[in-house]
Amino acid sequence: MLAGVLLITLLTLGGVGLYLAMPGGRLNIGRAALVVLAGAAAALVAFLLPNLSAGADGGWFIALALIGLWGAIRVVTHRKPVYSALYFILVVIAVTGMLVLMQAEFLAAAVVIIYAGAILVTYVFVIMLAQQEGGPARYDRQAREPFVGVLTGFILLAIIAARVFTAGFGEASLPPVDETTAGSVQNVGTHLLTQFVVGLELAGVLLLAAMVGAIAIARRRHTGMVPMPPTAEPGEVD
Amino acid sequence: MLVPYLLVGAAFFTLGLIGFVTRRNLIIMFLCTELMFQGIIVNLVAFGRYPPSGLPSLDGQVFSLFLLAVAASEAALALALVVLLYRFRGTLDATVWRLLKDE
Repeated sequence: MLAGVLLITLLTLGGVGLYLAMPGGRLNIGRAALVVLAGAAAALVAFLLPNLSAGADGGWFIALALIGLWGAIRVVTHRKPVYSALYFILVVIAVTGMLVLMQAEFLAAAVVIIYAGAILVTYVFVIMLAQQEGGPARYDRQAREPFVGVLTGFILLAIIAARVFTAGFGEASLPPVDETTAGSVQNVGTHLLTQFVVGLELAGVLLLAAMVGAIAIARRRHTGMVPMPPTAEPGEVD
Repeated sequence: MLVPYLLVGAAFFTLGLIGFVTRRNLIIMFLCTELMFQGIIVNLVAFGRYPPSGLPSLDGQVFSLFLLAVAASEAALALALVVLLYRFRGTLDATVWRLLKDE
């Protein structure tokens, strides 16, 4: 019962805080959003505490969850795209910490290398390539229907959270991870190259196709499609 | 320990979804899909590490590796398209491109 109340408090505070922090909302007040989000963080900690395992892992998990969720909120709400991308790196680091807590060492290293090292660099390049003159553009300062979006998202989150919470995933039988199920390079590699070898080959084909496609799209000259002049002012959201 | 991971994963996914719906910058919209991927990775690995029944397995981690491959391809293609669109209109506003929207 207490958990239910806490969950509702958490989701309400989180939703209100996110709405306040959204760019261009009528109530875009930095301090108020921060206070509400801090309340949501406190409710999150109080909600998670009974579910955590004792010991250092629980503390690490709470710290990583708070850092990651803060980063995610800033990705969604920051007005400058470059900062959004940098906050996304923070999210990636937090997720990597969670993976290490779950003994998925190889996957953790792969996520850092691929996301922070490759994908985010591509994003930052494109952001710099499409840089707008003179501060954040108008479409970055104004979100599209922030109230409806946040409300819908948090209703979805409430349904998922309630379902997860009432599903009764047993905590009693916590199976230990032994030599063969730890996420080491050897184990993951064996798994990948025996049981999932067809999928691995398909992933290679997919990456090749994506590379060829990206080059074909990006190198296209202005043929066929006539480039239109930039519209004077993008239309209002209706 | 399964429930906290699932909740945090769901929170990442929902934040990404909200960002995708509400932001108007094309690049940020695709960044938000990557945020959704992060939530899914947490979910998959948590289910592999703390299965509701049975023993821990590596399937979740292997599936997450495939997800990384798909995310890399998606980022390459999506950003190529974004660059192409930017070249045509000189703006990243998603609402400029609504030829497909029924009005």
